[in-house]
Amino acid sequence: MLDQRISRRSLLAGAVGTSALLTLPRPAAPAVKKGTSLRLWILKTYVEPTNKAIEASAQRWAQKHGASVTVEYFTFEDMQTKYVAAIENKSTPDVGQLETSAPARFSGMGQLVDLTSFARQIEGEVGKPPANVAPVTMVGDKIYALPWYVMAGFWYVWRDVFEKGKVKLPNTFEEAKQAAAALNRPKDNFYGMGQSWNRTADGYGVMQSLMYSYGAGWAGKDGKYKSIKTSQMQAAMKWATDIYKDGIQPADTLTWTGSGNNENFIAKNIAQTSNGPSITFALENALAKATDAKERKTREEAIANHMALPHPAGPEGRRMWAIAMSFGIFKSSKDPEAAMSLIAHMLSPEETVSVMKDSYGQFAPVMDKARAASKDYFNKNENYRTFGRAAEWFVPTGFPGPVTAAAAEVQASNVLTDAPAKVIVDKWSVEQAIDWEDKKIKEIYDTLRG
Amino acid sequence: MRPHASLWKRARIREAGTALLFLLPLLVLVVALIVYPVYRAVWLSLTDKLVGYPERFVGLKNYFYLAEDDTFHQVIRNSFVFTVVSVGLKVVTGVLMALVLNNVIRGRNFFRGLFLLPWITSTVIIALTWRWMFDAFPGRGFFNSVLLDLGLLSRPIAFMATPEGAMMAVIVANWWRGFPFFGVSFLAGLQAIPRELYEAASVDGATPWHRFWHITLPGLKHVMIVTTLLSFILTINDFNIIYVMTRGGPGSATQIFATYSYQVAFNQLRWGRGVTICLFVVPILVLGIILISRYLLRDKK
Amino acid sequence: MRLPLKTLTWLGMTVFLLVILVPFWWIASMSFKTYEQIQFATSIYVPNPFTWENYTGLWTETRFPTWLRNSLITALVVTAITTVVSSLGGYAVARLRFPGRESVASLILILYLIPPALLFIPLYRVLAELGATNHLASLFLSYPTFTVPFCTWLLIGFFKALPDELEEAALIDGAGRVTAFVRVLLPLAAPGLVASAIFAFTLSWNEFLYALVFIQDETATTVPVGLNLLIYGDVFHWGQLMAASVITTIPVVALYVFIHRWMVEGLVAGSVKG
Repeated sequence: MLDQRISRRSLLAGAVGTSALLTLPRPAAPAVKKGTSLRLWILKTYVEPTNKAIEASAQRWAQKHGASVTVEYFTFEDMQTKYVAAIENKSTPDVGQLETSAPARFSGMGQLVDLTSFARQIEGEVGKPPANVAPVTMVGDKIYALPWYVMAGFWYVWRDVFEKGKVKLPNTFEEAKQAAAALNRPKDNFYGMGQSWNRTADGYGVMQSLMYSYGAGWAGKDGKYKSIKTSQMQAAMKWATDIYKDGIQPADTLTWTGSGNNENFIAKNIAQTSNGPSITFALENALAKATDAKERKTREEAIANHMALPHPAGPEGRRMWAIAMSFGIFKSSKDPEAAMSLIAHMLSPEETVSVMKDSYGQFAPVMDKARAASKDYFNKNENYRTFGRAAEWFVPTGFPGPVTAAAAEVQASNVLTDAPAKVIVDKWSVEQAIDWEDKKIKEIYDTLRG
Repeated sequence: MRPHASLWKRARIREAGTALLFLLPLLVLVVALIVYPVYRAVWLSLTDKLVGYPERFVGLKNYFYLAEDDTFHQVIRNSFVFTVVSVGLKVVTGVLMALVLNNVIRGRNFFRGLFLLPWITSTVIIALTWRWMFDAFPGRGFFNSVLLDLGLLSRPIAFMATPEGAMMAVIVANWWRGFPFFGVSFLAGLQAIPRELYEAASVDGATPWHRFWHITLPGLKHVMIVTTLLSFILTINDFNIIYVMTRGGPGSATQIFATYSYQVAFNQLRWGRGVTICLFVVPILVLGIILISRYLLRDKK
Repeated sequence: MRLPLKTLTWLGMTVFLLVILVPFWWIASMSFKTYEQIQFATSIYVPNPFTWENYTGLWTETRFPTWLRNSLITALVVTAITTVVSSLGGYAVARLRFPGRESVASLILILYLIPPALLFIPLYRVLAELGATNHLASLFLSYPTFTVPFCTWLLIGFFKALPDELEEAALIDGAGRVTAFVRVLLPLAAPGLVASAIFAFTLSWNEFLYALVFIQDETATTVPVGLNLLIYGDVFHWGQLMAASVITTIPVVALYVFIHRWMVEGLVAGSVKG
């Protein structure tokens, strides 16, 4: 009898003690249960060392917490289909890297966990994104993703070609076109520019930079559909099609794959092109693989002569669309707390800088603490200094409005690059093409719900 | 009633039962994975299914949309141009190949096997191969390299940069892949033509051309029709070659039914519309099937 | 101008040989060049220096070995399923008498002609509901939809060509239909079965669309889709892609060298005899 009473008392004591514990405020850092397993989806970038560095960072988190992380990759090409398939199959990962318009799209489908309070929680540790990047991750005033880096496009030129032709380095789209005309030498198989309107970021990304810099956009500040039948859009479309009509680009430019402009630039077939830092990476790689002194000299010259300028400006300013990669947590995750811990780890300045050091300049951190910490790295040379400024000029899909699911679908539907193709290939007039594009965009906004 | 008759009846029932047993796996597979999905496809074409959202019934809206969509009109044109030209070229080449091989005595089997290599290679690899054969970059493009080196060209030609060029390129890839099948079938057909016909004709003083036109071709008629119909149906539904070579570009110059359906379903996430595109092929399919059945099966009696 | 037949024939043979072999040689030759050689167009026709780095790179830097394994497993499983289902069905249609036999034969042909392009979307949903997507299981289930009709059709022709008497003899001796099938008919139809198995293997090995749509995970996919993935973004690893193409084509060619006679017989069985 005595034992029972004692045990009941201790039971009561235990109960009181536990409830006292439960009323204490929760610790700031999310707790991770040992043995947790998370699936992380990462964008496979063009630079393999970066991918490995990201994976290593994730594994460091796993080791620290006695958990495990399975990293799966998606590419620029299949990023839509992969996520979409996962959503349909209900096999979404715990944490996924989301490109510029994905947070809006997927949160609209009810797939993402609300990270507003989590973002506030870790602000002390990682900082905040700058005002022009923040909209990418927000819908209304709720935050659905935390931005990590921006992979931007720059205007690559061959400095020696410009110097020899006594042409000024271009600052605007119009100047770039004039420079191309001046440097064009089709007889020698050398062209002034290589800008493809293909279905890759090199295509639809640059088209958006062009449009936004000219003040042409298909959405208003409120995110609702706005007609593109404007004089600004005419000017932008004219630029986009004149560069083909004027014969200042190689004949097959329109059919290039994502690597087409890289290869043509590196082979010195074209004087200018828009691209991410992977061109610099390719040139540095070629130097490392040089087999004899003569080849080494050629490669060193190439590196010295190639230049990455800020992306051209238009009449309304320098606005550059870029791939902004953020982390989001899917509602299907069985352990959102662990997912948050992983994100906090990867966004921390130390981890971000260590990954960035292996990125050959293509990875410009967004959060201000990491940006501050990476200033030294980007001071390497002129090109790198330009790379580091990427976040300054960034505007998201659907500018000047917020990123919405409809804006995301406009980008994904290829209508932005199909329109100039109609002028170039099917010989439509600029007005006809803009009319067609406007109709398609309106239809998307009309039929898309939520 | 004779006891013999009822014995027969029982035997027949037993036989039918055994047949059912033997056919069961086939029937299960067919119903579950072919018939049922086709039924689902028809249903899906009547909805506005967008990935990530539940579907809503919209009747024939997708069909009406496609009927007015100019891209879809182009898709229809492209599909027919691609198929007709490609199959036509395959027939002609097949006849030539059969005639040539027929005259080879030593090692005929070896060569026949060798010539079938394109037919057994993965179409993805074939698409990549021909993409590079036509590439504008001399390091990769076979034709440009050769023409430049021979001095016939001063600058590389971007074969696949124009709608016509791109269509030509995919037709060539499809033709290269498919003509051996025609050749081998026609060869077998040739060998089935009785020698006596030729001998009689020679005795009558017929020219080789005359013999070809009046004996060979009619003798090949059956094989030709069957192979052509089969190839027509398979070619019009091609996906791999065009997807890998051009993705349907430039613009929509080489977009055909299957690739357009994939683009609408997986890039634009509109599954209702995507399925409808494919259903448009069904009437052509049915026609082709009826024709083939008549030719292939009527003689099987 | 009349050329002797012999000259014409050899001219024709040369043209065909060139047409057929040059593309293969182009790929093989590029597979032995470095990325820089291809990029800067040095040593176009014959790689110099010759390098194996694409082959080794393929093996160590990409997921090619995994894809190869997946393709192999899929092809073997599908071949097994197909051979069993097709031989059973083919035998029934060819040898057993039952009402509706002709319709079944026509149905089988019709099924073969239903394009995968029509089925891939609804099949995707069906497989997703079964939880089979993103695994090779989705291919085990979907590939037979095109291999079985074709192989059944093939085997119907083969079984029909075999004489009835052998079976009758076995039946009279008291064997059941099943035993007659297994003991007597199958061994005789061996060439047909081999042809059918090779067909099924080849069709599975080369299939692209279903693998592309049903499997998103890079580690679970097959070679054709993997090759497509090797084309990532800005850096197109040409040499590796070529090397992968060479490696992928070799098994099929090797298999094929041994059995092409039977395969050709099978191919023409339906269309020529009529």
